[in-house]
Amino acid sequence: MAIINLKKLLQRKDITELIGGLIVSIGVNVCIKDGAGTILYGTGGDDLSGLPITVDGQTVGWIYGENVSKIASTASLLNYIVGAEAQKKALATETLDKYSELTMLYDFVEKVNAFNVKEIADFLIKHVSEQIRADNVSVMLTDEITGMLELIAERGSVGAQMSAVGIAGIVMSSCKSEIINDCRCDPRCAMETGGVSSLICSPIKAKEKALGIVIASTTEPYNYTADDLNFFCTLVSQAAFAIDNARLYESLKEAFIKTVYTLAETIEKRDPYTGGHTKRVMNYSVAIAENLGISAGDKERLELASVLHDIGKIGVSDNVLRKTAKLTDEEFEEIKTHTTCGRDILSYIEELKGIIPGVKSHHERFDGRGYPDKLKGLEIDMIARIIAVADTFDAMTSDRPYRKGLPFNTALQELRKCSGTQFDPTVVEAFFKAVDNNKINPENQEKYIRGDNNDACNSDSR
Amino acid sequence: MPAILIADDEQHIRMLIEQTLESLEDEGVDILAAQNGEEALETIKEKRPELVFLDVMMPKMNGFDVCNTVKNTLGMKGVYIIMLTAKGQEFDKEKGAESGCDLYITKPFSPKELKSKAREILGL
Ligand SMILES: [Fe+2]
Repeated sequence: MAIINLKKLLQRKDITELIGGLIVSIGVNVCIKDGAGTILYGTGGDDLSGLPITVDGQTVGWIYGENVSKIASTASLLNYIVGAEAQKKALATETLDKYSELTMLYDFVEKVNAFNVKEIADFLIKHVSEQIRADNVSVMLTDEITGMLELIAERGSVGAQMSAVGIAGIVMSSCKSEIINDCRCDPRCAMETGGVSSLICSPIKAKEKALGIVIASTTEPYNYTADDLNFFCTLVSQAAFAIDNARLYESLKEAFIKTVYTLAETIEKRDPYTGGHTKRVMNYSVAIAENLGISAGDKERLELASVLHDIGKIGVSDNVLRKTAKLTDEEFEEIKTHTTCGRDILSYIEELKGIIPGVKSHHERFDGRGYPDKLKGLEIDMIARIIAVADTFDAMTSDRPYRKGLPFNTALQELRKCSGTQFDPTVVEAFFKAVDNNKINPENQEKYIRGDNNDACNSDSR
Repeated sequence: MPAILIADDEQHIRMLIEQTLESLEDEGVDILAAQNGEEALETIKEKRPELVFLDVMMPKMNGFDVCNTVKNTLGMKGVYIIMLTAKGQEFDKEKGAESGCDLYITKPFSPKELKSKAREILGL
């Protein structure tokens, strides 16, 4: 129970008046001291007889008077006030604990939904570790294809989740949380406990089905309580909801990308040179991006933009698009419109507005001599700068009806040559890194017949 | 002795903040409370607390008016004023800036953050 500050209590206006009034009415010299003997009210007291003021058997102060019987009523009033205050305080402490828990949960719920599965797992682990004693916290999810539990995220001593093999199966099938405070002797744990002494395990439950489990464990024996379990389960159930949503979102997104991809391929079919071009440009773009440390959101936009970069060709006439001979200036102007036309198409689709700069500017040059806006250097959207390299490289290495594509290494030299003029040197650097890491190599580009006149980088890829 | 004033018409919010800041009392901080705007203003004038938690929606005088009076009319710029606003009711940042308040916190607040903020402001 909370300790009472008698001094502060006596300073309260209502209490001062009450006690003061009472003391005046008894008409004797009264002194009140706190537990440490400091005078809080009146004077003297040393030669007077005293009565203790206690709360829960603990003395928090003394009241002294010339005559004990005269101060008895004041003493019992003080005792009553102190007792009531202690109760109020205990309640306040409890309320504050609950409130802290609640605001933490509030914060958790508000933020947890914004992430992908891995991030949700990390976020959950972070919060669990802050609130519950644990040497290891692991989040495991059933793989949708293999049906096996897979470790998604973990904090603490490596390998502790191994001990969970036994209990994991039980929790997964019963869909109920468990506390095991003595793993070494509990038949529900695997033979090899991997150094785990106590654990708490809860299913990640969505729509009455266990998607996986979360385990918090200690290496030293620890007594997990029902309170711990309660709190743990609350967090896990919130995370479960978020994980379920994130999975749904991820599958929706996949379906969306597939649709976009199909759309791009349909357009590609009109343009004989681009057979497989879209796919390769995407692969190259992603490989480049991996060496540039771009954000997850940018990566997503890059994927979509690289697939859709030539979508504007839908507005270019067949005879220009399929022409194998050199284009007239007029025809080239028409080809150029595929960048702005791409922007126009995408501006109708809310979900794709974010990739417009990447699509519109994929023919801009680093030195400012590209199209459609003659943007220069970093004015060009980063995604567009990446696609420019990927697109041109594929244009150079792909075969066409009237000539074979450049050999892989020759095309690399061309890229190097145009670094800083046509291309962003950082992007070219990232491309070469991808080649070094074998993420881009001659074998992974399938050859296609093409009918375009994109020459090496000095002449523009369309 | 440094002082903190908690002004909120809701008793349980006052109690929560008091409880949150309780340990500061051991470090010699005086914790004062007020139940409405007028009382808050009187206490600020009389006790000159270093830090004030001021609920926006209070009877008799709202938080903005109290803050405005303290900071602008009385010129007590040194008082650090944190406005408390309920979740869901958008804090009027313009009014907040006009009244000269230093910070606003949305309820439900995090006790941990509230306390560390108070310590920071009092230089503890
Ligand atoms: Fe293009």
